[in-house]
Amino acid sequence: MSTFWHILRFKILSFLKTTFDRNAVTAVRGIGSLIVFGGFALSAYALAFAVTSYLVPRVGLAVFHHLVSMVLFVLFVAVNMGNIIVSHATLYKSAEVGYLFTKPVSFEQIFVLKFLDNFLYSSTTFFLLVFAALLGYGTYFEYSWATYAVLLIFVFTPFLFLSACIGVLVLMSLVKVASRWGFRRVVAGLAVVYVLAITLFFRFSNPIGMLENASRLQSGDESVFQLFNIPALSFLPNAIASKVLYHLSRGDIGNSVLTAALLLLGTSAIFAFVLFIGRRFYYRTWLMTFDFQAKSNTVEAGRKLKLFDFRKTSWLPAQWEVLMKKEYFLFRRDASQTIHLALMLVLVVVFALSMRNLNLRLRVTEVQTIGYLVVYSFGGFLSCSLALRFVFPSISLEGKSFWTQLSSPLNIKKVYILKFLLGALLVMLPALLVAIFSNVPFVRMSERRPLLLYFGIYSSFWTSLTLVSLNLGLGGLFANYKEKNPIRIASSQGATLTFLMSLVYLMALVSIFIIPLTEYFQSLFLFMPFEMVSIVAPGTTLYMLSAALGVFAFLIGLRSLQRDF
Amino acid sequence: MIELRDVTKKFGNFTAVDNVSVRIPPGEFFGFLGPNGAGKTTTIKMMAGLFAPTSGQILINGFDVVKEPLKAKSFTSYVPDQPFLYDKLTGREFLYFIGGLYKMQKKEVTRKIEEVIGHFEIGEWVDKRTEDYSQGMRQRVTIAAALIHEPKVLIIDEPMVGLDPKSAKIVRETLHQMAGSGVSIFMSTHSLPIAEELCDRVGFIKDGRLVFVGTQTDLQAYKQKFDGKFESVFLELTK
Repeated sequence: MSTFWHILRFKILSFLKTTFDRNAVTAVRGIGSLIVFGGFALSAYALAFAVTSYLVPRVGLAVFHHLVSMVLFVLFVAVNMGNIIVSHATLYKSAEVGYLFTKPVSFEQIFVLKFLDNFLYSSTTFFLLVFAALLGYGTYFEYSWATYAVLLIFVFTPFLFLSACIGVLVLMSLVKVASRWGFRRVVAGLAVVYVLAITLFFRFSNPIGMLENASRLQSGDESVFQLFNIPALSFLPNAIASKVLYHLSRGDIGNSVLTAALLLLGTSAIFAFVLFIGRRFYYRTWLMTFDFQAKSNTVEAGRKLKLFDFRKTSWLPAQWEVLMKKEYFLFRRDASQTIHLALMLVLVVVFALSMRNLNLRLRVTEVQTIGYLVVYSFGGFLSCSLALRFVFPSISLEGKSFWTQLSSPLNIKKVYILKFLLGALLVMLPALLVAIFSNVPFVRMSERRPLLLYFGIYSSFWTSLTLVSLNLGLGGLFANYKEKNPIRIASSQGATLTFLMSLVYLMALVSIFIIPLTEYFQSLFLFMPFEMVSIVAPGTTLYMLSAALGVFAFLIGLRSLQRDF
Repeated sequence: MIELRDVTKKFGNFTAVDNVSVRIPPGEFFGFLGPNGAGKTTTIKMMAGLFAPTSGQILINGFDVVKEPLKAKSFTSYVPDQPFLYDKLTGREFLYFIGGLYKMQKKEVTRKIEEVIGHFEIGEWVDKRTEDYSQGMRQRVTIAAALIHEPKVLIIDEPMVGLDPKSAKIVRETLHQMAGSGVSIFMSTHSLPIAEELCDRVGFIKDGRLVFVGTQTDLQAYKQKFDGKFESVFLELTK
């Protein structure tokens, strides 16, 4: 055990030295992080407080905590998937693991070290989010500081930890099964299972139906709504965590403690199981990943010239040609890129298709305005995620091999512009798809007036370009040429900062659209006048804000490529 | 031709390269020696355009590396000390990639690639992805890539690291031929026998300062002051 603490001590020391390195860049990054993370936490706090204050008196404690349970389900799945993806890099691809395996350190200790490393790495932002939201929620119920501490330590830490444990279990099973059925096939199967699980969860606990039922009930009528009585769902960690909050909010401390104990016990049992599995299978599965690599690295040259083959002549100028072909092959031959893109595109298509069938029955201005903005924000969130995952890492992924371009007679602007164009293509097409499909129900509702559709397309166009520019620019500013794994780059501190900035940009857009959308829906439902200037003004503001942010980020990124390499 | 004029590079308060001046005419093979951390790689990275000098000027065939980087780089080939390649590309694809960066015609690149594949004897594995290569294989591909566009200036950092004796011999002969055909070669090395065997002139750098520049004749004379060994000269100059 002493070896474990010895390694942990040096890892913490290394982390502290890197994080608190005294130089100008770290200081600026630290201040920037503090502002953005602080702003984000404050927003989460304010939103949680506002939502709790608004909903609890209207829908009652039971329905409200059922909604909390749904939010926690999404959080659980997000942490779980994040852990699966990041733990592949941490547990199987990290050079540190290879090094430690050559030392007299037990597999179990290495496993626990890397597991904790992975958990802290991929869940820190979620912790911040949960804590801020918990503060907002608790302010409504006037909880003491001790209550927050207890909830955070005994409910939300086990909750997130359980999610991470399941993530690692799934990953190890995946590696083991993939040795028989092939990696891509197993990942595709897993994706189907996750999509099915999410769909089924929301089918059985339909939030819209529940709110419609709740609106018919009297406030505080707890008996009619049968919360937690769906047996299959009531033992899910999100239901248990929300039950703790539910009991606490009613002042039922005894039941609250019992429910928290259940969660703690469940998490401990699963963690013990993870340790057992780790001890037995970690090293074996680690060796298996080398077999996958060996199988995938075939001789590439064939007699027949395939599309994008470097030997093929092209009408493009030589530098553009080889840069494009390089981007294509580096992306296509990296399984973590192609599989992740396929998964995200499936999500986009599922979202777009489900939006197409959205039934907008209530002809109430506020409801439709909020509905439109929620759908718009979700589409924007998808674009943010795509840009973060695929555009942000693109400069870092040049890696140490970037010397080839920097030392050649190549104007580095070409590299940057190409990455921008490819990123724009990747983010804009799904964004436009979502914009078109999500606006169809609103066009239908407004007796086929296409204004919102045009506005959605216009907005998606500029938003996509701005998000790509922001992610590429800040990806260049925070470039880490030593990291080869795109997922780790996309979950680094710089990436999180960029993601939060993207969300702030989205929130700014949402706030710009509130008034014109309200006026538009008022014109539909209340036959009030609607001037075109009402939509032109926010449209112009959107353009100016996007252009300013986009150009600023573009210049930052371009400048970052001219730094010492 | 390579010319360094009062080149200085500072990282914060630390001066890595301090006022270095040297001129390497066409066809000269210049050896750049010094202990670890003396400033060899920093100097080379400035010449390759990977670092910007804090002050001074670097000219490649008369073109300033900072002011006219594309013209300067079009004459240059750089071989780094660590041969990093794009893992997911094959060796052949990497060679095509480099040819394209130097705006070569496809036919010409193909011809040159076949030539270097034969010359460096890399045909057996050139169509495998470079992530499977050993250090020596990577080094051979990197050096082969440096010759694709027939440079006038070759900047090479520790060329023999990781090479087996046969590959090292091929590289030594190739460099010798290149210098013979008028290419200016600037080579950083720790290997004293190689510097002695290949270089027309050598320079010693210590703590960022060029402490000795001389021809083989100067060096021989200097050696006699000690015990006649190159190693002793190195130790004396860098102590």
